[in-house]
Amino acid sequence: MITLSNIEKVYQTKTIETVALQHVNLTVPKGEFLSVMGPSGCGKSTLLNIMGLLDVPSKGIVEINGQPIKSYKDKELAHLRNEKIGFVFQSYHLVNDLSVLDNVELPLLYRKGVSGTERSRRAKIALEKVGLSARTRHYPNQLSGGQRQRVAIARALIGQPEIILADEPTGNLDSVMGEEVMHILLNLNRQDGTTIVMVTHDENMALKTERLVRFFDGQQVSDAKIHEFQKV
Amino acid sequence: MIRHLFKLIWNRKKSNFLLITEIFFCFLVLFGVLSFIVYNVRNYSRPLGFQHENVWLLTMRPNTDSTAQNRVQLEQVLQRVRAFPEVEHASLTSSNAPFSFSQMRNHMSYGNVKDVEADEYEVQDDFKAVMQLQVSQGRWFGSQDDASRFEPIVINSVMQKQLFGETNPLGKRLPKNDSVSYEVVGVVDHYRGYSEYAAEEPAFFTRINLQKNKNDFRNELLIRVKPGTGISFEEKMVRQLSGIAKSWTIEVSTLEKMRQNKAKLTLIPMLALGLICGFLIFNVALGLFGVLWYNISRRNSEIGLRRALGAASIQIYRQFIGEVLVLATFGLLLGVLFAVQFPLLQVFQVESEVYLIALIGAVVLIYLLTTICALYPSRQAAAIQPATALHEE
Repeated sequence: MITLSNIEKVYQTKTIETVALQHVNLTVPKGEFLSVMGPSGCGKSTLLNIMGLLDVPSKGIVEINGQPIKSYKDKELAHLRNEKIGFVFQSYHLVNDLSVLDNVELPLLYRKGVSGTERSRRAKIALEKVGLSARTRHYPNQLSGGQRQRVAIARALIGQPEIILADEPTGNLDSVMGEEVMHILLNLNRQDGTTIVMVTHDENMALKTERLVRFFDGQQVSDAKIHEFQKV
Repeated sequence: MIRHLFKLIWNRKKSNFLLITEIFFCFLVLFGVLSFIVYNVRNYSRPLGFQHENVWLLTMRPNTDSTAQNRVQLEQVLQRVRAFPEVEHASLTSSNAPFSFSQMRNHMSYGNVKDVEADEYEVQDDFKAVMQLQVSQGRWFGSQDDASRFEPIVINSVMQKQLFGETNPLGKRLPKNDSVSYEVVGVVDHYRGYSEYAAEEPAFFTRINLQKNKNDFRNELLIRVKPGTGISFEEKMVRQLSGIAKSWTIEVSTLEKMRQNKAKLTLIPMLALGLICGFLIFNVALGLFGVLWYNISRRNSEIGLRRALGAASIQIYRQFIGEVLVLATFGLLLGVLFAVQFPLLQVFQVESEVYLIALIGAVVLIYLLTTICALYPSRQAAAIQPATALHEE
């Protein structure tokens, strides 16, 4: 479970102060599939970064499973990210010089006590889950966009995280491939109970999730369960 | 993680090729220069086998061709020099006195061992006292050799080893020519007369016997003076000797001065090579630093990704240092493969240890250099904010 209480994020330069988020109060219960929508620059990605412990809020408290993380040091935050959170990005963020299998293994490289053989075994299982078990020796530039995003999803789920944070995972994909990726995420949520927070511009994709939160100018303007939203 | 780093560098071998090549050549230059330095330093630290302090070299150049007259005057000069209270010992020598620029080499054979190239030093009986040589086996020359059928020689231990191995060399005879043979009467532990920085070569001393060879003439005389004897004695001696041998040119030099001149011959190239090598390494370091910094700035999004996947900033720091060390390892593997041929093939007849020390030194220096070059860029990489880095493509 992720809880954000009274979160504010301000980016400050010498001359300009930009408020990216203000007064954000949001709780994502365990096992929920939440989508976040809003126009560009409204603070969606900043929200995801704060949830993913990649950025710290200027004000407010972030809690993961009821534990406030404010006092956590860099090493502890990294450990928490590695154990609890998986990331999926719009531009995949695959390492081009590593094979598909090596890319998927990456999170386990930073986990103590996981042998090379174990990493490889778990990477193969993760790739099988996303339907890419025949592409283990390929390199990212030999794959289509949809395949790359599936590799990124396999990488996100290899560490069996409780939470997956997906930043516009279908943004660079055509509708068919977007559907495929969405299907995988939905399966992960429904079958494995993984909590997913997805930032998206695509309303159709958002409607497939359980809950939709909208942002505008750094503020949370709506928060509704999808079935309520559809009624409206 | 090491396997991961090797895989990463191997997969990037094309883009890392120039960097690996640079490290390879840098290693070769370092290996060459270090071999030269180690060779000289090792020689320098070894015993010379003689004491050169308070020893002067008197060079006499007669202006007449009359051998008989010159010989008479030489004996008078010798007598006078030995009579000075300041002089402890004096010995005529061939032109290859210690630290001089001349060499006399001979090929010596014994039994199955053929053509051992050895330095020959022709000296008088007093040479041992002048140079304070240590005779470890047998004896030095003496009046008992006057009646010997063979020409007595004293050899150094290097020559003993090469010609006789572990067997006792004393009394062994070596052919000089068809009618005359040398007989080994003694062994000195060490004798490196050519230079402090030169390796010890096989060497032997033969005896100058003025009484036996009435036409023999030598124009170099080594003199051991009492400690504290200075320039005033030098002037007095030259003045008095010029009175005896009026038409001769007489010059005096100290072995210490000759040693210093000879040392410059090695030290100056060593210094020049060291400077060139240092300059090269500095350039390589600048290049490495620039390339690493550029590479890291190109990999911002990968750094952000790794942070997101659970790498702490210290792990990013270590990864980049590790990558540079792996890169260096690839360059060094090639270099070591090449360098190891030198001791294996005994190139330049230099001891294997010299190459091995230089090889280890060059490897350590390259690792040190690459690590130092990687420290700052790696720290920069570790300080990158993951949220910012992930938005850079």
